[in-house]
Amino acid sequence: MTAARAITCPACGGTIEVRAAGFSVNLACVHCGSLLDVSRPEVVLIERHAEAARAYALPLGTRGVLYGDEWAVVGATLRSDGEASWQEFLLFNPYRGYRWLVLFEGDWQFGTPLTDRPQGDGVRIVWRGEGYAAVSDPTVTTNQAVAGEFYWRLAAGDTAQCTLFERGDEVLSRECTADEENWTHLVPLPGALIAEAFGPAPTQPGRRRSAPQGFSAAGAKPQRETGDRDDLVWMFGLATITAIVALFAMVLLAGPVSVVTGRIQVPVGSRTQPERIGTITVTRPYQFVTITADTDNFHNRWVDLDYSLVDRATQQSTDAYGLVEYYTGTDSDGAWSEGSHRTETMISRVPRGTYDVYVGAEAHGWPSDPVQTPDAWYGTETISVKIDARTGAMSWGMWVTLLLGLLAWPGLILWWRNREDD
Amino acid sequence: MPVRGAALPYATCPYCQTLILHDARGVEEVGKVAVLPFDVSPIQLGTVLRPGDQRLTVVGRVRWAWSGGSWNEWLAQADDGTPCWLGEAAGLYMLTVEAQQWLDLPELRDFVAGGPIAPGLAVQLGARRLVASDIKEVECLGSEGDLPLPTQVGTRMASIDFRGTEGEVLSLQRDGRGASAWFGASWDLAGLRATNLRAIAGWTLPKDLQ
Repeated sequence: MTAARAITCPACGGTIEVRAAGFSVNLACVHCGSLLDVSRPEVVLIERHAEAARAYALPLGTRGVLYGDEWAVVGATLRSDGEASWQEFLLFNPYRGYRWLVLFEGDWQFGTPLTDRPQGDGVRIVWRGEGYAAVSDPTVTTNQAVAGEFYWRLAAGDTAQCTLFERGDEVLSRECTADEENWTHLVPLPGALIAEAFGPAPTQPGRRRSAPQGFSAAGAKPQRETGDRDDLVWMFGLATITAIVALFAMVLLAGPVSVVTGRIQVPVGSRTQPERIGTITVTRPYQFVTITADTDNFHNRWVDLDYSLVDRATQQSTDAYGLVEYYTGTDSDGAWSEGSHRTETMISRVPRGTYDVYVGAEAHGWPSDPVQTPDAWYGTETISVKIDARTGAMSWGMWVTLLLGLLAWPGLILWWRNREDD
Repeated sequence: MPVRGAALPYATCPYCQTLILHDARGVEEVGKVAVLPFDVSPIQLGTVLRPGDQRLTVVGRVRWAWSGGSWNEWLAQADDGTPCWLGEAAGLYMLTVEAQQWLDLPELRDFVAGGPIAPGLAVQLGARRLVASDIKEVECLGSEGDLPLPTQVGTRMASIDFRGTEGEVLSLQRDGRGASAWFGASWDLAGLRATNLRAIAGWTLPKDLQ
């Protein structure tokens, strides 16, 4: 017996488990998709549907161990901001409460709800002593589908204003609805760890994992079929060949290179109008465009960069965003610094055409702008930013990600075997 | 039927769900209490909490419902008898102690007199600024153990939470008997160093909570 409350769906008559009984408020029936109110002893039908839950990357009810605690997948939702869509999973452990798993374009993040609120304006915020910068303006996010149970009245079609703030690979997400503001702290999680914790995705055939070996009285090493070891060699070989083929394909796809460079001056404490740096040409149907911003030495300043590629033929603009920031200071652990004087922004799928490259910028001091004293000799403090925009770029990050993805499984198996042998 | 705290005049009989009032005049039957619905809360009567250097024992529970759901308020008693409420929602906890002095704030006079509170109303508690973020009319779903208030089916009250930026909370309650104010902070079970937790079938009690 598990600690779940069994209910009968008033719409389809199917039996459903309420896994977080007492906490869950809304439940979307796994059999017919109908939305139910399970907050009271009597189950109430909120909205009738007649289609089964769509396929999610993690099936409802699956359990897995992450960060030393066991989690059950109790809810799943498909969300969209109009441009991209992704899946979010609600995890539950009665002794630990709720967490989130977010699956966005193949990348996983683990989310913890916050009880303390970050401080600051909409652009730069501080949480537990660390600064986070906004990645985008607030965007409206819609829950296109929901399945399973939630501790608030979530329903398909619900919207929220979402803003993401980044610090390295850590993200703080703010979600605002009409009457609530919720913050979540997100950290990246390798896909291999998810597969390890929750098992392989349901569509893939399950790979046999080496079963736990009992202790043998003689202390002999457990026997293993040689077929497994051959598999591993094959896996490494295949991964290497795939990586090399991908590298050639990417170089081929990247296409001819067109470069433009320029320099802009950004006064600290104000913003500059978009300035034309030059022109680049995309000669393939689609190419990557990389924009690199390189700055002088500065401390405790941040520069927001707004890039626009304006198509000469259509005057359509493709926008992107960059951030250069560098902070130093001392605390009880001694001197620290974070950030970099250089940032690279990659714009994918830029269609064929000739583009004017415009750069607008805004520079500020941290924690506040420096007091500007009119100085005949030096004038106001400015940050000089060198801009390099080029087509035909190779996404090395993508290739490295591919390489890691390819080697993760065989690597993990190798490590596991070595550990067993020790 | 054991009656644990004299300062907690209401007790729910675990066998027949009768609410009993015991005071200097004797023992009196007040009415029936609904059976608590099944839930997977890790807290139970007898759970011990050690926030900071205090030691609190859980002696009672009230389950409250509002239009958007329901939650548990556990009554925990310090060794010296001081009562605390442990609110349990979405796997997070709010531990509060009585702080009647804040009812004298000019912004809250209207509430004490029976008026409403607007969402977003800010109050200044010393150096902390808290904002009214959770305003509910709630109804009792059931209770167990020893309690300072009667909890028959249909008992209603106004429940308002003001929250600060660091998880502080000022919780106001008002029923037919008057208003009360409680102040505290947000916790998780590990932070409360909870022991004697309920064993939940199918789940392993984490090592740090054993």
